[in-house]
Amino acid sequence: MGEEIRFITPFEKEYPDRLRNIPDAPSGLYVRGKLPVNKGVSVAVIGARDCSDYGKYVAEHLGAFLGRNRVTVVSGMARGIDGISQWAALEAGGTSIGVLGCGVDICYPAGNRVLFNRLLEQGTIFSEYPPGTPPRAMNFPVRNRIVSGLADAVVVIEARNKSGTLITVDMALEQGKEVFVVPGRVTDRLSDGCNKLIKQGAEILVSPEELLEELQKLKERTEERGGLRGKAGDGKAQERKLQGQVSQERKSDTESDTWLEEQSSEVPPELCDLYHALDFYPQSVEQIVARLPSDISLSQAAIQLIQLCIDKKAVQVSPGYFKGMQ
Amino acid sequence: MYSTVMTGALQGVSAYPVSVEVDVSPGLPTLSLVGSLSQEVREAKERVCVALRNAGFHLPAGRITVNLSPANRRKEGTAFDLPIAVGLLAAMDRIPGKRVENTLFLGEVGLDGEIKGVSGVLPIVREAVAWGVEQCIVPAANVLEGALISGIAVRGAASLQELFSFLLSEGGEGEALLPVVRLDAEKLFQEKAVEKVPDFSEVNGQETAKRGAEIAAAGFHNLLMVGPPGAGKSMIAKRIPGILPPLTLEESLEVTSVFSVAGLLREGETLATKRPFQSPHHSVSLPALVGGSTIPKPGMISLAHRGVLFLDELPEFQRAALDSLRQPLEEREIHIARVNGTVTYPSNFMLVCAMNPCPCGFYPDRNRCRCTEPQIRRYMGKVSGPILDRIDLCVELQTVDIASLKNCNKGESSGRIRERIVRARKIQKERFRGTKYQFNGDVEAADMEIFCALGEKEQQYMDQLYRNLNLSARAYHRILKVARTIADLAEAEQIMVEHLLEASFYRPAQEYWQ
Repeated sequence: MGEEIRFITPFEKEYPDRLRNIPDAPSGLYVRGKLPVNKGVSVAVIGARDCSDYGKYVAEHLGAFLGRNRVTVVSGMARGIDGISQWAALEAGGTSIGVLGCGVDICYPAGNRVLFNRLLEQGTIFSEYPPGTPPRAMNFPVRNRIVSGLADAVVVIEARNKSGTLITVDMALEQGKEVFVVPGRVTDRLSDGCNKLIKQGAEILVSPEELLEELQKLKERTEERGGLRGKAGDGKAQERKLQGQVSQERKSDTESDTWLEEQSSEVPPELCDLYHALDFYPQSVEQIVARLPSDISLSQAAIQLIQLCIDKKAVQVSPGYFKGMQ
Repeated sequence: MYSTVMTGALQGVSAYPVSVEVDVSPGLPTLSLVGSLSQEVREAKERVCVALRNAGFHLPAGRITVNLSPANRRKEGTAFDLPIAVGLLAAMDRIPGKRVENTLFLGEVGLDGEIKGVSGVLPIVREAVAWGVEQCIVPAANVLEGALISGIAVRGAASLQELFSFLLSEGGEGEALLPVVRLDAEKLFQEKAVEKVPDFSEVNGQETAKRGAEIAAAGFHNLLMVGPPGAGKSMIAKRIPGILPPLTLEESLEVTSVFSVAGLLREGETLATKRPFQSPHHSVSLPALVGGSTIPKPGMISLAHRGVLFLDELPEFQRAALDSLRQPLEEREIHIARVNGTVTYPSNFMLVCAMNPCPCGFYPDRNRCRCTEPQIRRYMGKVSGPILDRIDLCVELQTVDIASLKNCNKGESSGRIRERIVRARKIQKERFRGTKYQFNGDVEAADMEIFCALGEKEQQYMDQLYRNLNLSARAYHRILKVARTIADLAEAEQIMVEHLLEASFYRPAQEYWQ
């Protein structure tokens, strides 16, 4: 399974419907893995390759959430956000489409071999380039139109200014897709691109549930517009199913907050100050101590930080750097 | 006519006796030198002949044979010149044979009869006591080295002329010519021990790194420092010898011997009183690091014996050179095998390494570091795993900005840190009496339960730590060893929870790299 390479053209039924409507649609696609069904919802999750821990965290959670809710995650199988969200979706039992900028027989980047194989089993790999085409820099911006084209909406997690991710966003807007952006902090270079998009009027992605609701509305709108009367029943069923899942998800997730892990235990009072000085971003012990209201020695702080790590409230990223966990 | 004269040759940092046998018999005038000799020993023939003539002695026209016994061992170096010259004169009856009995000669001879300094005087004189030698005549340049050894009379000669007048003189007259030089090693040691070394109070900030260095020095753990360029890694490393306990006399003689063999004792320097600090450049070759070449010379690791070997820019070192450190780190000595035999040099050093966290130096500060994950992994991967396995402590340094440099309170002085370390070492000495270990850093996993036992509460804590920090078994043992040292520093009988916590803070970086 997944070993054979198929070639599909717009004249065939299997050709993704969403691609039929985009400008400059590929005249043919090489496919490996399962052929995706045209029904269902799909979201493109894209972002920086050298993402921060924050980006990684969000990509993991969003990917897993989408996977659980049977939303297909479309992405470019790149390092960083792309690969992480796809992997999370597959791990959660969902499906995913990887669109490559090289032949479908080539795993690029080579470091994502495991993801590549998993996609062959559980998802789909697409490319408009014939097998054997090496990964060329010029191919990647072009394939981005397929990434956005295959999705109903695009989520940007982290992007620097002038990031390749922004090219995908431009194409998505051209294709009339909805763009959601995960906000970052103004001091983070990795979120500059995201914040710029928000300033330009992109939707802000605050919680995954919201995304699901928006997707639902989008779906209804397209159905109304497209007048798919014959398939209305199908659509309704899908909708009910989707809503059912959403409400179920809500319950199990203890009142929203999908981003955060379940609270395990309370932080002991003597460690509270230190805990609050922690951040999602790795900080050195010196930086953390500098944020404390009281004066404690670095060695003392080090001991307390390890205590927080044992309680799973913090993570030691490297010998002298810590970040917080919720 | 026949004579024999005693001398010695080096074998690593120890020595073996060599007797120079000279025979003058009638025949065609020749001089042949035998006994498995290297080029420079064979050349002694020319040097000695000319020097003797210039000193006023003419060789007889006969068949002269010189044999260096044991003849099957390879002889190297120029220290055989003097015994050959003395042997020739004794065989010619120019000096009484009685005068050269039980006397060991060492030295290179110049054409004008000058006696020049050679390397390895200290180890040879040290061993000579056991061979029943009563007096040693060594080059005047090296006499202070030899004079450290008690139980043997050591005299320094500057020229052949001087030496011969001594050998020909009778009784007290000779004493005045070449007096016995004697140095009280203990006293010298006390005097020189107060020499100034770089002090920890000069390092501002970097509290955790300094504390890490203190723990490492106390338990003889190997240390890795990670940090951007300019954070003070080398500065801290250079100060570690200053917080190690002072050298004992015995240790000092070991260090001096290695330097003497390597010919690195400076003129007038008698006894090494400071712990050595060796910092090889990362382009260092394998033989230069561990010792080698055809005549195996001690390498950097032996020169760092009883001191600190500092490897800056760890990932830049050749993998082969780093891997060669495994045996010396394990066995505390290095065996170098060559065609002419195996020599063993001591290499009981503390390993201190430094490296950048990534090619640019700023990881994990993602706002400044633009290195990709594979780049970082590749950079870290350059450090050989087996070496990381032998590093117990890891500290990370950050760049200190100028404002805090000025405001920082002065650090503790090396002297005060050293006091704590000396106390911790004393506790370890008690603990390991009668075992194969010396320090907490040496303890093997199998003996962990004996020496690093935990109370019930602490054990529970350690289990929790092991689970929640995803430790490997190896890291678990390292934390125990380091915690034992921290407890020793605090002079605590039992390892307590806070010691375990502090030890886990310093756990080695490899855990994050996997």
